[in-house]
Amino acid sequence: MHNALLIAELSLREAVRKRLVSVLLILSVLFIGFYLYGIYRLEMNLDQRAVDAGLDGRSITGLSNVPVMYSAMFGMYLVYFLGALMSVLSTVGAVSGDIENGVMQSVIARPISRAQLVLGRWIGFTVVNVVYVALLGAALLIGVYVITGYLPPSPAPALGLILLAVTLLTALTVLGSTLFTTLANGIGVFVLYGAGFTGGILNAIGTFADSPTLAALGRAANIVMPTNALWLGSSYLLQPEVLLDISRRTRGANPFFGSDPIAPGLVLWAAALAALAVAAAMWRFSRRDL
Amino acid sequence: MSAAPPPIIETHELRKVYKGRAVVDGLSLRVLPGEVFGFLGPNGAGKSTTVKMLLGLVLPSGGQMRVLGGSPADPAVRARLGFLPEQFRFQTWMTGEEFLHFHGRLAGMKPGELRARVPQVLKTVGLGGRGGESLGGYSKGMLQRCGLAGAILARPELVFLDEPTSALDPIGRVEVREIIEGLRAGGVAVFLNSHLLSEVEQVCDRVAFVKEGRVLQQGSMQELMGGVIPVGIRVDAVKPGLLEALAVLGEVRHTDTQTPGRAEIELWLQHADAVPAVADAIHACGARLHALTPRRPDLETMFLELIEDRPAPALTPEAVHA
Repeated sequence: MHNALLIAELSLREAVRKRLVSVLLILSVLFIGFYLYGIYRLEMNLDQRAVDAGLDGRSITGLSNVPVMYSAMFGMYLVYFLGALMSVLSTVGAVSGDIENGVMQSVIARPISRAQLVLGRWIGFTVVNVVYVALLGAALLIGVYVITGYLPPSPAPALGLILLAVTLLTALTVLGSTLFTTLANGIGVFVLYGAGFTGGILNAIGTFADSPTLAALGRAANIVMPTNALWLGSSYLLQPEVLLDISRRTRGANPFFGSDPIAPGLVLWAAALAALAVAAAMWRFSRRDL
Repeated sequence: MSAAPPPIIETHELRKVYKGRAVVDGLSLRVLPGEVFGFLGPNGAGKSTTVKMLLGLVLPSGGQMRVLGGSPADPAVRARLGFLPEQFRFQTWMTGEEFLHFHGRLAGMKPGELRARVPQVLKTVGLGGRGGESLGGYSKGMLQRCGLAGAILARPELVFLDEPTSALDPIGRVEVREIIEGLRAGGVAVFLNSHLLSEVEQVCDRVAFVKEGRVLQQGSMQELMGGVIPVGIRVDAVKPGLLEALAVLGEVRHTDTQTPGRAEIELWLQHADAVPAVADAIHACGARLHALTPRRPDLETMFLELIEDRPAPALTPEAVHA
């Protein structure tokens, strides 16, 4: 374990030294700033309309605040999407990159087991990705709260599900990086991510059109790649009663947001899948020629 | 050789097959503690693959090997090894010192020990005072030196050097030779993979020739040459009876009569004492002797003889066979 932590520490320092962290921070501040400025202008508009209509103010949980609620929802969707992108892109060469540029040989000749190396890489990149997405998500929700006074119902568990998706994607990318070249891995994990999203869309259409076959296909895709289901579960927790009501009346026609809580079994499966992916990566890398 | 200490590396019929092609094909080697062992062969002979198997980077397809009495798959064995890869590529975002500290910690060294040891090895490889610079700014030669520092950092018992001077200038090569000699003086065994024959000749105690994944011969320089003295002879013409007379004294390897008015003969003698008798034999046949040059056996001659199409075992029957 000591060696795995040493590799994790190396991965963290690598992320800082390769300017990954600084580029991310600058761009994220720009993204959050831009988005929150938009919400600030929206809030001013809504307040002005309330005044124009001769009202004293607006209810935070009422229909009049739905634009703000959707802004927070779509903001969190962007956080989830950026987190997924970041998980794949930062980790895509975690093992294969070091093999391709020849760094791996001198490291593996040291008294470190290959399983420890893979575990350390995963821990290091997971820490970077999870901390990044947690900060981004918290910054967005706090920003919305400070500007509008609105906070989604269960922000912490919702963020937790997004972070689980990030952990899973990082684990799958580490596994791909022990199996394929860096490029093939990046494409492969993105296609898998797309499969999860496709599953969500099929499920939504299947439910909307009352087609059990389509819904079953969607559920199968969710099991193969639960990231989108985790996001839908997270979005459920972020919606106040007003939005859930809209969702139910449209029979879940919006594939971006879920109108049902995620099944606990699926959350456990996502965690198990992440652990399995890391274990498979450790096993696979131990049997590979360098 | 059975009375010698147990070998530090011993392989038996080691094989590695990539996609149906045997890169290493029944390779058997012995390296003894504290010796500098030269591993020679043409490009593509399987040298680097063998080194990688001995380090546990590549899994053998067959055969047995023991390194430091165990398997290189065991981290405890690898803790006692040092390695400079042929492709000396390291994390370019690190400084030289960070690189060595990282590798030292992987090797299980304590921080206090590393603080003293890192400047020491940097000085040994000629990078004293340059350890604070980023590896991305190092020249190829500096990177190779830094890799060498990493290889000797954790005071290994056995160091693998894969083409350690490929990026170095002549001064750097001399310095690396001195480092290897220093290691030997400290009782460290060195496995030197190189095709710079003069380099190998100067530092190695024993060598192995490898071709197409098999060891053709291995042994000390003396054993390999079998005490043979090559002698170059130039006479005006090959008179009748001359070659027969020479064949009594030694082995006639080669005759060249292409230039009119002169003939070159390559003769291998078992003893230097026989050189005057060669002159006598030439005179006795009535030939005019223009030159008679006994030479020191050199690795290059051996290498070319062995690696080119000649069947190896016929060459030096006294040599130790793998």
